[in-house]
Amino acid sequence: MTLLATTRSAPPVGTEVVAGARAMAPVIVAFVPFALVVGAGIARSAEPWAAWSGTWAIYGGAAHVAVLDVLAAGGGWLTAAAVGLLVNVRLVAYAAAMAPAWRSVSPGRRLLAAVVLTDAPWAMARGRGDAERAFYAGAAGLLFLAWPVLVSVGVVVGDAWQSLPGAGLLVPLTLGAVVVPQLRHRQAAAAASAAAVAAVVTSGADLGLGMLVAAAAGVVAGTLSGAPTERAA
Amino acid sequence: MSVLVAVLVVGLGSLALRAAPLLVAAHVPDRVARAAGWAGTSVIAALVVRAVVHHEVENLPAAPLVAAVAVAAGLVVAARGRSVLTALAVGLSVHLALTLALTAGP
Repeated sequence: MTLLATTRSAPPVGTEVVAGARAMAPVIVAFVPFALVVGAGIARSAEPWAAWSGTWAIYGGAAHVAVLDVLAAGGGWLTAAAVGLLVNVRLVAYAAAMAPAWRSVSPGRRLLAAVVLTDAPWAMARGRGDAERAFYAGAAGLLFLAWPVLVSVGVVVGDAWQSLPGAGLLVPLTLGAVVVPQLRHRQAAAAASAAAVAAVVTSGADLGLGMLVAAAAGVVAGTLSGAPTERAA
Repeated sequence: MSVLVAVLVVGLGSLALRAAPLLVAAHVPDRVARAAGWAGTSVIAALVVRAVVHHEVENLPAAPLVAAVAVAAGLVVAARGRSVLTALAVGLSVHLALTLALTAGP
């Protein structure tokens, strides 16, 4: 089963799948230190195999680390799960934004697209018109295969790389570089600006709460910065 | 057992968050999808800003400021159409240069 459905005007599907995978490859390199951090957290877990299963089950580094941190600090599974889900709640926004491009695809393929959904492939595939689905399939598919491998390496080698200068900036630089092209649109730029301010204001708050506030600020700013006819729609 | 239960709950919940809008995609209005796109972009912007604000380097009190300059440099490069790797290289180089300059002894 593939994620893809072609239209008459779409570029060759295979070409776009490969393009997505090739675009994702350097991004995966940037994610290595973060994957090692997640792997080190798994190695320290009281149930390493259960913790490792989260690489595909949770499929989100920030949420995965948050869950393991809460459990390591003595929190119960309910608290850990609540924190993890709060961190991952942004996924519903990504999926909703993808909906128009995936309406014509079978439910099975949409479910597959959902399974592999995360920040980088979502951001990279946006704005590609007819090529969006194929590009997304290549990018998301490669990351879905690579991420557990990288995390597993982290289980073995630990997170020593985290202490290297600038290592903590690899993921934000990567995500920022992927999103920057979207900011050419006024409303997206307004949303990102408002979210940045909200992020500074909520920097002391829990990650999940901070992202919720930023998302809300962004939606308000994006809506208000539209043309009057757009706002009235 | 706690780890397994937590992972399963977050995993199933995350799948539901991912899948629900896509499975009912025909019923998601375009303006809602548009707003969701802004929300997604906003979340990523917030992740970048939080990483900058919380950035720490030993013996460097101005670490967040250094991080801000480094990330800004990388994003300018990306905005000019350069590759992600180029943006990373520029950002990390700026970070390294500033860190060395500010932490060098007298």
